[in-house]
Amino acid sequence: MNLLDIRNLSIVLKSATNPILAVDRVSLTMKEGEVRGLVGESGSGKSLLAQAIIGVLDEKWHVDADRFHWRGKDLMRLSVDERKAIISKDVAMIFQEPMACLDPTMTIGMQLTEAVDGEQLTGYFWQKNQQRKETAISLLHKVGIKQHKICLKKYPHQLNEALCQRVMIAMALAKRPILLIADEPTAAMESTNQGQIFRLLASLNQLKNMSILLISHDLENVTHWTNTITVMYSGQFVEAGTTKHIFEQPFHPYTRALVDSSPKSNSGLPAKSRLMALPGSIPILQHLPIGCRLGPRCPRAQQACVIAPKVTNYHGHQFSCHFSLKGSY
Amino acid sequence: MPILLQVNNLSKSFRIGRKWFNQKYFTALEPISFEVQAHHTLAIVGETGSGKSTLAKLLVGAELPSTGSIKLNGQTLQPGDFKQRCQHVRMIFQDSGTTLNPSLTIGQLLNEPLQINTKLNEEDRHCLIRETLQKVGLLAEHMNFYPHMFSGGQKQRISLARAIILQPQVIILDEALASLDPSLRSQMINLLLDLQEQMGLAYILISHNLGIVRHFSDKIMVLSKGQVVEMGDTAKILSRPKHQYTKKLILNQRFQLLHR
Ligand SMILES: Nc1ncnc2c1ncn2[C@@H]1O[C@H](COP(=O)(O)OP(=O)(O)OP(=O)(O)O)[C@@H](O)[C@H]1O
Ligand SMILES: Nc1ncnc2c1ncn2[C@@H]1O[C@H](COP(=O)(O)OP(=O)(O)O)[C@@H](O)[C@H]1O
Ligand code: SF4
Ligand SMILES: [Mg+2]
Ligand SMILES: [Mg+2]
Repeated sequence: MNLLDIRNLSIVLKSATNPILAVDRVSLTMKEGEVRGLVGESGSGKSLLAQAIIGVLDEKWHVDADRFHWRGKDLMRLSVDERKAIISKDVAMIFQEPMACLDPTMTIGMQLTEAVDGEQLTGYFWQKNQQRKETAISLLHKVGIKQHKICLKKYPHQLNEALCQRVMIAMALAKRPILLIADEPTAAMESTNQGQIFRLLASLNQLKNMSILLISHDLENVTHWTNTITVMYSGQFVEAGTTKHIFEQPFHPYTRALVDSSPKSNSGLPAKSRLMALPGSIPILQHLPIGCRLGPRCPRAQQACVIAPKVTNYHGHQFSCHFSLKGSY
Repeated sequence: MPILLQVNNLSKSFRIGRKWFNQKYFTALEPISFEVQAHHTLAIVGETGSGKSTLAKLLVGAELPSTGSIKLNGQTLQPGDFKQRCQHVRMIFQDSGTTLNPSLTIGQLLNEPLQINTKLNEEDRHCLIRETLQKVGLLAEHMNFYPHMFSGGQKQRISLARAIILQPQVIILDEALASLDPSLRSQMINLLLDLQEQMGLAYILISHNLGIVRHFSDKIMVLSKGQVVEMGDTAKILSRPKHQYTKKLILNQRFQLLHR
């Protein structure tokens, strides 16, 4: 049974004159214990999709889906409150902008002890406070904050962005979620410290069978940590498959370009030569191309691309393109 | 080729310990001297805490040096003279994407430095903003957007736009490329190389990614605990490192790539 099964999820930015389709019929499935990468260029709607899954988008946005199942339960049939209760119990998210997501009026210690999952405490009620505190401290150690005493007493604005991100990770893990959505969990950290966090997440996946949806724009880095990958571009579904297939034999021209622009494929070039890069930039929501949104930048685009391609499934490897690279391997 | 930036005996110590009778100093940067030519890129590498960001902040004037002087085009930069420095030496900070003023549109944000530092009229400023946005892979329409309407990576591009809009002579990139997505990073490196070729810009590149350092820089400076352990041609040092510390850095990165 799938843990999460989303079919054709759309997210519309409501406005009086013309509503904007920010995310256009994207599908996403996750199995139990799976680590899935969600990649795509900046602004392709990855964070929006994640926020829609855990239901924290405000009323400006309208979310709709053909199917939205969580562990076999149809969430679309439940009321908003029931849905929230289920999701907030089982799913935790590490937000991309940690500073904005922590409560500025409470110390880190208060927020973190509050986040600790009550069910894991075993003692009598008068011991629970102490246990909560101990759990909070051990979580801080796990995410690489050694000076827990100082950190617990501080308010979010007194910490730098990288520390906030670590606290955010500790808070997400405190809930002991079944599914962890990690939105660029190490963006604010120095690259030398990033491996530590990814190793922590990987070990939780192995030991606790926690599923992870890892959101990132860095395809090459994601391939080191995931079993499967879903690629998006400008709010549309691009390609999904095993990490190996996506990185070694992408069928979609956009994935091909992502792979080609990764540092690994560029390492053979002479110094100061120009690197391979897809020309142009991602369209803004107010002026989206019709049909396949990659059209204006796509090296394989033809007339037919003004009609959005349907998703093709080839041995579990899904892609959405009229002129895919499937035949070229 | 002309020498653009000349640094002499620059150092920085921070005072630690709060009480006046218990003052201790922590030296983040020992005195160092170096030069950067026009058209050249100097890469600075080293572990976390080795003083890279401190050096960068001294160069842009965000921190006052404890000793030493900085010369731009042969002229000494006075520690307090921000106007001159703002225009010619720009820096893109490690976490600059998150420091944009939320109450200004992108257009206003980019207009500000132009109004303060140039004599351009409104129309020219508008044109320049438009051009710069396109250079960093954004669109002219983005001018009317507020920072919260952008995704995380797009905010990075805005801070890049803010750095290049004054057409400075020296740009300091403190891990600025690290958080860009790869397709934009390639575009950005190409753009920076183009600008360097056309305008003779000098870059100071602080990066953990030795791949980028190898590709982008001419000279390299290896810092450890505030001291320069090795300095010279990038290709030479990366292929035949002399110092143990440099060897370790290179090995570390190889290890990371292979065993992640
Ligand atoms: N509050 C908002 N108002 C208007 N547009 C918005 C808003 N929030 C996001 N957007 C737009 O929605 C699109 C998708 O944003 P999203 O944050 O999901 O991108 P992302 O894929 O997470 O990118 P990144 O990798 O940079 O984090 C972007 O084009 C962005 O400009
Ligand atoms: N404002 C400050 N006060 C005290 N110490 C500082 C300050 N800024 C930096 N340091 C110290 O200086 C050292 C070098 O820091 P930094 O230049 O940021 O290193 P890097 O950028 O190479 O990682 C660090 O040990 C840091 O703790
Ligand atoms: S459908 Fe057309 S425009 Fe879209 S990716 Fe395929 S070839 Fe390119
Ligand atoms: Mg995002
Ligand atoms: Mg630094």
